[in-house]
Amino acid sequence: MGREACSTDSYCWLDFVRPDFRRHRAFWYARSLLPNNLSAASYSIVPPIVPYPKGSRLNSQSPIEPPSYPLPHGHVQRSTATPLEPGLQLGHLHVVEGRLAHFNAQCARERSSPAPLTPPELLKGERTWLVQTLGCDLNLVLHTIIVTEAHNALAFIGHPAHDSTSFAFHSPALQGGSVAGSIPVSRSSSGNEIERVVDQLAARDRNEELLSALHHFPAQEAKWAPMPEWVRPELVAAYGDKGVQRLYSHQARAIAAIHERHNTVIVTPTASGKTLCYNLPVINSVLEGPDVRALYLFPTKALAQDQLAELHELGERLESAFGVFTYDGDTPSDARAAIRERGHIVLTNPDMLHAGILPHHTRWTRLFESLRYIVLDELHTYRGVFGSHLANVLRRLRRVAKFYGSDPRFIACSATIANPAELAQRLTETDFECISENGAPAGEKFFLFYNPPVVNRYLGIRRSYIHESARIAQEFLKRDLQTLVFANSRLHTELLLTYLQHANRAAPGREQSIRGYRGGYLPNERREIERGLREERISGIVSTNALELGIDIGSLDAVVMAGYPGTLASTWQRAGRAGRRNGSSCAVFVASSAPIDQFIVQNPDYFFGRSPEHAFIQPNNLEILVNHLKCAAFELPIRRDEQFGGIDVAPICERLEESGYLHRTGNNWHWTEQAYPADTVSLRAVTSDSFVIVDTTGAPETIGEVDFPSALTTVHPKAIYLHQGQQYQVERLDFEKRKAYVKQVQLEYYTDAIRYTQVRVLDTAETLRFEPAESRNEPGATRNHGDVLVRSQVVGFKKIKFFTNENVGSGNLELPENEMHTTAVWLTLERSLIDSLLFPVRDRQSGMHGLLYALSSMATLLLMCDRRDLGTAIGERPPLLGLDLEWSESFGFGEEREYFEPNLYIYDVYPGGIGFSEPLYEIANVLIARTRKLIEACPCGTGCPSCVGPADQGSENAKEVALAILRRIGAVSR
Amino acid sequence: MSSGLQEQFSRISAFSPVTRREPSSHPEPQDPSNLLTVLGGEIARNRYGEFLVARQWYSSPERCGADTEVLRLLLSANSELTEWELQRAADPEKWLLLDTETTGLVGGTGTYAFLIGLAWWESGGIRIEQLFMRDHDEEHSILLELADRLAERPVLVTFNGKCFDWPLLQNRFRMTRQIATPAFAAHLDLLHPARQLWRLQIGSVRLTELEQYVLGAESLGWSRRNDIDSSRIPEFYFEFLRGVAIDGIAGVFHHNRMDLRGLAALAGRIFRMLSQLEGGEQEPLELYAISHLLNRRGECSKARRVYERCLSMKLPEPIARRARNVAARLAKRERDFGRATELWNELASSSEPSWEALEQLAIYNERRARNFNEAARLSRLALAELRRASRLGLITPERHEHLSAGIKRRLARLGPKLDLGCAWQSEPLPKMLK
Repeated sequence: MGREACSTDSYCWLDFVRPDFRRHRAFWYARSLLPNNLSAASYSIVPPIVPYPKGSRLNSQSPIEPPSYPLPHGHVQRSTATPLEPGLQLGHLHVVEGRLAHFNAQCARERSSPAPLTPPELLKGERTWLVQTLGCDLNLVLHTIIVTEAHNALAFIGHPAHDSTSFAFHSPALQGGSVAGSIPVSRSSSGNEIERVVDQLAARDRNEELLSALHHFPAQEAKWAPMPEWVRPELVAAYGDKGVQRLYSHQARAIAAIHERHNTVIVTPTASGKTLCYNLPVINSVLEGPDVRALYLFPTKALAQDQLAELHELGERLESAFGVFTYDGDTPSDARAAIRERGHIVLTNPDMLHAGILPHHTRWTRLFESLRYIVLDELHTYRGVFGSHLANVLRRLRRVAKFYGSDPRFIACSATIANPAELAQRLTETDFECISENGAPAGEKFFLFYNPPVVNRYLGIRRSYIHESARIAQEFLKRDLQTLVFANSRLHTELLLTYLQHANRAAPGREQSIRGYRGGYLPNERREIERGLREERISGIVSTNALELGIDIGSLDAVVMAGYPGTLASTWQRAGRAGRRNGSSCAVFVASSAPIDQFIVQNPDYFFGRSPEHAFIQPNNLEILVNHLKCAAFELPIRRDEQFGGIDVAPICERLEESGYLHRTGNNWHWTEQAYPADTVSLRAVTSDSFVIVDTTGAPETIGEVDFPSALTTVHPKAIYLHQGQQYQVERLDFEKRKAYVKQVQLEYYTDAIRYTQVRVLDTAETLRFEPAESRNEPGATRNHGDVLVRSQVVGFKKIKFFTNENVGSGNLELPENEMHTTAVWLTLERSLIDSLLFPVRDRQSGMHGLLYALSSMATLLLMCDRRDLGTAIGERPPLLGLDLEWSESFGFGEEREYFEPNLYIYDVYPGGIGFSEPLYEIANVLIARTRKLIEACPCGTGCPSCVGPADQGSENAKEVALAILRRIGAVSR
Repeated sequence: MSSGLQEQFSRISAFSPVTRREPSSHPEPQDPSNLLTVLGGEIARNRYGEFLVARQWYSSPERCGADTEVLRLLLSANSELTEWELQRAADPEKWLLLDTETTGLVGGTGTYAFLIGLAWWESGGIRIEQLFMRDHDEEHSILLELADRLAERPVLVTFNGKCFDWPLLQNRFRMTRQIATPAFAAHLDLLHPARQLWRLQIGSVRLTELEQYVLGAESLGWSRRNDIDSSRIPEFYFEFLRGVAIDGIAGVFHHNRMDLRGLAALAGRIFRMLSQLEGGEQEPLELYAISHLLNRRGECSKARRVYERCLSMKLPEPIARRARNVAARLAKRERDFGRATELWNELASSSEPSWEALEQLAIYNERRARNFNEAARLSRLALAELRRASRLGLITPERHEHLSAGIKRRLARLGPKLDLGCAWQSEPLPKMLK
């Protein structure tokens, strides 16, 4: 019974709750019982009922025996119902058959009419009935009743002052007709504490503004599978010692697929035992043939270290030794030779593979000759530029492996993204088997979305999300719940740490129980913190994304995310850090005022609606491809007829020969340069051109690096450059030597570069008119994608005051022009549409800019990319065919001229494009619809940073115009 | 190539041409048939195909003598050659001098050894054979040729071959996937001995500098005057490959021959020097370096004799102090306490901080001479010296702490044995107050 039986029915969802109870967990609990495909349209919410006067009681009838059928869910424990007495305690509810028939009849009648249920009488009747049946306090509130077509009913009642909620479930399919229970009963103390915090937050939310979602995930039972027979007995024993006697179902499926030599990608949540999926088959192979070698790739060194510890522990339990080593920049040079010879499993990162292993493959003969497995953990991190590079590194890896006669299989693990198999396939250019069904158990879990209260509604200013995050974290901490706080920058990490340490002063002589964790900490310190977390000596930790990936810190009670982590996948990863096997846990997302945060927090369905992002890569970006072909030529001569990822290399190699990098002999191109090509190619950027930042406050010291495209906007002369919370002013920018000289300063403002951007369309790949709202004659717009040339110049900068964002000055700059060929998506607004906007020119202009601002925010969300990855510009649509030589320009200052038919460009900020444009074009309808939703839902008056950008001086209608344009585009989208 | 593709390519920065200096010579296309005359070579072939080989014979440097003792000294301490293998390796007839010219110094699989220079002693002089790949497809043949030569003469003699030439050649052999990396009986890399012997005199130890300052450039029989800038060697080869110029590569051949002859001369010099430890015509600093080398290889008594010999000559003062210190330690080990105390006293009487010698003297007085008062006096002096050294920043505070704790323990141990009557009389004044 329960979910399975219900899933075939269509639902009518009645929500008899008081507004302040609407987000009570019972409501969400009820929702969580329903199938996932239940959309908001299929239930209705009805007005609340007025509570009965306090203190009135009803005479109870004689006690009713509790029914004895199976409970809807294993995790719900049936109430140990004592005979009902007047003034019965909550948590004891029995539904009497027959009473519901009346109720159901009412429902059925109402459902046939389109109007929503208005059931005051019904409610009155049912309430009376319930109260009579229960004989309990009239102050009781009925939360929710779910009625299905098959006349199943689920009723939730609760008491505002009490913690537990009772429910009853009725179904004719059950012999007795109904079951009753109370949720959740019998749980660990922490479970209760978690609920207390959740309730407290819910209670604080008087105006229904703070908590926009309260999701309840019921506990999940493990699905077990036996250890396969082909696993060697000593390995079975070693895992047995660790407490792994049998496997979760997904693990069993994964290792079976790997055993059958399929390339396999595993997509299950955090802490579901993914590492076993690759360690077990790999070690099994090593035990069977000591010549087997495996290469593990992790995106960071810390992850490799963590895995090393786990593999060593496993190795100690096995008698036959196998060699496991990390190989990265920290590996001492005297240990390297031994690793090359004896490492059965080598743990490294893509950068080291690219610059340290492949160019020296002759020293790794043993590894490459017997390379059987390549493991790609945290697959979802390999997207965008990094992924495009990695795809090429893997092409080189396969080429070298082939040279030594091996054909390795790939095993990949990924957090939840929409296209894991596709990403794996694009990265490795082979087919994958995808395993996504999760068999790991999980305790009950809450997921809350918290939006800090609005302080100034007109300007759309909310209370600081950092402070709110600290307050929420403190709620957990003061109840001794182990809590992890994620911040999105180092600065915020330190801030939150300060607040929380201040609020939780360690007793004299006791260890500080609130700690920070981020990239800059030393490895030993990090290990110590990780251990402290596992051993629960540390009760609170503030971290950057460093703890997001699979570092083993055990599971915590609560996770607070200060700001949206940027992608759905990251958010789920971070939330997954909270999760007790038994007992409750809680994750809270605290939104900042950034547009993406606001969209997510106001549209929880987008987040919970199971539509994770797609990860895109573009391995054939010419700049990236050519760089890797150079590296490939250094590794092995390139044959004339060779294919590199399906690309014919001959024309590129000919060009490289012309430039002096290669020399052709017979059918082979050989490397003829003294330099080492891999050294000049960074996997984390398209071009290796970057500026070094030199702090000249004291003795000159290099503090960082910025890549060329962002250098112009972040380290131009007089710019304020922020690094680790410290302000620096740029004193001089040496363009020739690529150096920016800075000095530490303490100022009240930061700078924002004013950039003048021109875009020229080089080639339109596709064009499509948006389906107009009503007819073809309506004003409309087209969407396009193709190649463009972006010419930009930083012409000045604004000084903006911290906190108030006031403009406190500006300056002019003379910097060289930067030209880039890339790909873009653009919307062309037709003249008729512009004419139909009944606003002054100035408003229309700022409306378009606002719209573009919102569109690009939404695009970063849909594309799972960083805000810096996309650039925007507005320009005149070029005249039709043959005359497209003219530049279309973005607006300058105070320009009054209006575009005839403007193009709104969103382009990839990487030379050659990194593969965002085409997918964005494909989902343009979704983009338009979501953007509209974002702007419509924003509570601000005339535009704020959360929607169309800060209100422009002189134009107060940006928001309205942007919305008007979107409505006219009228994309049909769900 | 289509013009569209060309235009697209023109925007890619990864294609931007390699920046090179001006070609080394007139960029007139040279007739390839000139090659053999200019390089003085001929075409040879083996089963992998053709290659170019240039052979020369020179009367100098002369063949050097070698003995197993010196060889053992020169081979690194962890080489595990049996006595018999050592005997065999000490036969200069079995030596193959090797020096390669490569397309870069960075190593890795994309660096080629395009010229393999080999040399051995023949008919009272030196035979040089240079194997050259005129294009990448000749690499297999020159590698096979090298393997054959090494089979005939299995003792490799190189200058920095352990870190550079040989690993690179190993890479090349592995890249063929056909020719096995040849084995050698021993590899004598003269860079390390040369560094130990002459670093004190000439600082950086490069072959050209050794020729100049150690081997005596005038007497060598060749001149580096027209030598090429060795950092441009890869460029010269790339120019040659592209048919731009061949005089650059001719210069490389010449350079390689001089390097090989220099290597031969250096080998002769080192063996002569080390085989005549007594009564040779070495410079004092050389002698000091030799004794240091002997000491490090565990040849203590030999080392001591050479230390004593160089102490009898004029050494710069700081080096002399180091020599005295080691010589004293060696003398102590051979229980020649007379000479040891003499050296310690010499050290202790100098103006430099000398806690080590003082402490050693104290130990000697406590254990051997049983003069406890003297031992205590010296210990206190040593403490004062330590403090001074610490003040001058010669030793770290931790080391000061550690060393003085040892001396204080000694003082405490001496306490009960002291003849108190004279203890205070022999209270020393710290050196600074004298």
